[in-house]
Amino acid sequence: MSGAQGGIDTRRIADVALAPRFGRGFLAALAAAALGVLLLCYAVVVLLVVGLGVWGTNVPFVWGFDLINYVWWIGIANAASLFAAVLVIRRHGLRTAVNRFAEAAALAAVLAAALYPILHLGRPWLFWWVFPYPATYEVWPQFRSALIWDFWGIMSHVVVTSLFWYVGLIPDLATLRDRARREWQRRVYGLFALGWRGSVQHWARHQAAYRLVAALVLPLLLAAQTIVALEFAVTLVPDWHQARLPVHVVGTGIPSGLGVVLVLAVLLRATLGLERYIDDADMDLLGRLFAASALACALIYAGEIVTALLENPRTREAFLSRAFGDYAPLYWGAAVLTTLLPQLLWWRRLRHIPLVTVPLGLGAAAGVWLDRFSLVAGGLVRDHLPRIGPLYAPTAAEWILLIGTLGLFVLALLLFARFVPVISMFETRHEESEREAP
Amino acid sequence: MSAAPPICGVIAEFDRAEPMIGALRAARAAGWPDLDAYSPYPVPDAAKILGAHGAPVGWIAVGVGLFGAALQFGVQVWLNVFDYPLNVGGRPLFAWPLFLPSAMIVGILWGAVAALVGMLALNRLPRLHHPVFAAPGFERASQDRFFVCLFTGRPGFGPEAAAALLRDHRPLRIAEVPRA
Repeated sequence: MSGAQGGIDTRRIADVALAPRFGRGFLAALAAAALGVLLLCYAVVVLLVVGLGVWGTNVPFVWGFDLINYVWWIGIANAASLFAAVLVIRRHGLRTAVNRFAEAAALAAVLAAALYPILHLGRPWLFWWVFPYPATYEVWPQFRSALIWDFWGIMSHVVVTSLFWYVGLIPDLATLRDRARREWQRRVYGLFALGWRGSVQHWARHQAAYRLVAALVLPLLLAAQTIVALEFAVTLVPDWHQARLPVHVVGTGIPSGLGVVLVLAVLLRATLGLERYIDDADMDLLGRLFAASALACALIYAGEIVTALLENPRTREAFLSRAFGDYAPLYWGAAVLTTLLPQLLWWRRLRHIPLVTVPLGLGAAAGVWLDRFSLVAGGLVRDHLPRIGPLYAPTAAEWILLIGTLGLFVLALLLFARFVPVISMFETRHEESEREAP
Repeated sequence: MSAAPPICGVIAEFDRAEPMIGALRAARAAGWPDLDAYSPYPVPDAAKILGAHGAPVGWIAVGVGLFGAALQFGVQVWLNVFDYPLNVGGRPLFAWPLFLPSAMIVGILWGAVAALVGMLALNRLPRLHHPVFAAPGFERASQDRFFVCLFTGRPGFGPEAAAALLRDHRPLRIAEVPRA
């Protein structure tokens, strides 16, 4: 039994974060992501100086890329955190491998998402007006509106997702502190580890807190997406005014987040040499889960068609114009990418080929983006009034903003992979020790 | 050893969790007043021997979460029903179902923050320094070793008694923890 030390060796993971250099590939990726963030700054400055006119939105298309991308990013964040939280609560073996970076992906996505609702306000610097503060005019926010719930939803989402990530990170930061050879690393990691010394009494409370925060994440995720969906559903737009919309937005968001987690798992395995910790069985499970979420998504799409056919003529007409009208390619692109193609991963052989899983994962994320576009823009094609203006099409300023948030997402993940353990080390040790026990 | 600086405890290092649990059990049986164990991952059995459990964290989070939700609900009612009643197409002012979503969300926010803060407070963290950090080899408590520390100082529970008790469980090493 004394030779069992190899079983709980997580030094490889810690040393990734402590390595003095990360190679040219990392620097190139970092530079590309930083360029993206610069583009984001440019897009935001242009928006602030010129105003919302730089976007392609106009009546009736009052929402465009702002809401499309917001709902899309939130979907990725939600599915990634949902996945991580369920693994932690169920103490599933897969958690050791993927929950940490699923949480990180969720955090990066929620940061990217949170920008949009602020930027789309028209006068973003006054966004704090939605907070109930004692104003001179003695007016208060209208809490009977879904738009105000959204402020609380996003704020809580950002804070609780960060907490979930950080609580799980504390013991691993202590490991980094203890393995660091350089003084500044010891100090920085030591500060963020809050003096964690691994007392078994502390562990008991830490585990309770970690699983509790994981459990608290779950209702929050449903609430955040549901509120976004309600913002659409409470309008009188025929295609949006449906009780099924929250289910649609929550359910179809899941393949995008799982697709991103799958892609990240492949990339981490390949670039950081972590095959031992994210093993083939983990990839297998992740692939099947992804395919299953796509199947659930297919059921939601089928439900949409059935509901539309049973609904009143206006709703039916609106749905048909979304599926077969001007924005039809978006609808069908979404249907194929999020529901049909991921089904390929039911084949065991295909689940282990990165050249298959990566395009499918990214494809699902793109597919959900098309679905949001189809919903936000396509849903307005048939309204109660005849449309006189042109169709909505994003302008260069909107595309630059999207690329910028992608840059922000990638930058956050790169920094995460560089500076903190990408795999939960204490969970890995725990798991290995349980496996050794008879 | 008499010329050495004053010590506050004796610490034993193990390479597995089982002897650590054994040593803890023996120290508890001997009535050792002040002791702790350190491990690289949660060892629930050891925590049980020391009488620590996670339930208080849960109660703190639930209590604070419910308080936060009630506060949010109350604030909404006060703002939208009493202080600034706004008639929107004759809809009821006290539309309580519409006050529930943000009450729930903010309750969860309070609960999650309370889980973290409560856990830290019960653990007396953040505390960046602690005497055990000075024990030789203690950096491996966060990697792959298990430690039992018997704090000395009370009459009858001196360093010699501690070392004798710990030695029975065949630790890799026994060291004294200097007083910080």
